[in-house]
Amino acid sequence: MNDNRRQILDMLAQGKLTADEAERLITALERGGAGATAMSETDKVKYLRVLVDTVDPLEGPTKVNVRVPMRLLRAGVRLTGVIPTRAREEVNAALRKEGIEFDINNVTPQNLEELIEQLRDLSVDVDNEHTKVRVFCE
Amino acid sequence: MKADILPPLAATVHVKPSGWRFGLRLWLPLFLLWLLLLPLVVLALPFLFIAALVFGIRFWSTIRAVLALLAAFRGTRVEVMDPNSRVFVNLH
Repeated sequence: MNDNRRQILDMLAQGKLTADEAERLITALERGGAGATAMSETDKVKYLRVLVDTVDPLEGPTKVNVRVPMRLLRAGVRLTGVIPTRAREEVNAALRKEGIEFDINNVTPQNLEELIEQLRDLSVDVDNEHTKVRVFCE
Repeated sequence: MKADILPPLAATVHVKPSGWRFGLRLWLPLFLLWLLLLPLVVLALPFLFIAALVFGIRFWSTIRAVLALLAAFRGTRVEVMDPNSRVFVNLH
């Protein structure tokens, strides 16, 4: 057993980590990342891909292929960090008015990283007769 | 300056409008655009700074966030194809 794995198990035994966190760290370790505590650059999700295939009976097939860097999402979230408090309150109020219970103050780089980490294994496929949509991260 | 904080320096654009036999393949040097914009941005900075003070916006954080947003566009790729036309944009 290597030192990193033993350290994770020790932290789990001491209650410093939950079982889920320990599992995630060990998985990251097994993937051969540089470190267990921080994900390496190569492990990070780099792009959000959106593929759309439609077949219009009259106009024929149309394909859309979009690749958006995750860095754009991260930079967008960083930009929300500089919104003045008053403007944040106005945004929250406008969202509430539309029936969306969302607090823009909760959009932080830490929360986003957790979200992106969860997106890693996510793939959304929508199929119907004429349209096929696929959204995934790579 | 590290490469990952630079804005897109070039764009590859392929356009084939409907009805055209051949499309256009363009390589656009975006760095020239940034060079042209730079003096304008420098001139505008004092005004932006005053506006930031008035509206209570953290000036330097905002500048950094906007630069990071511009830099993050590198690697964006959009392709739309149908039987008659095609548009492809890649930001390098």
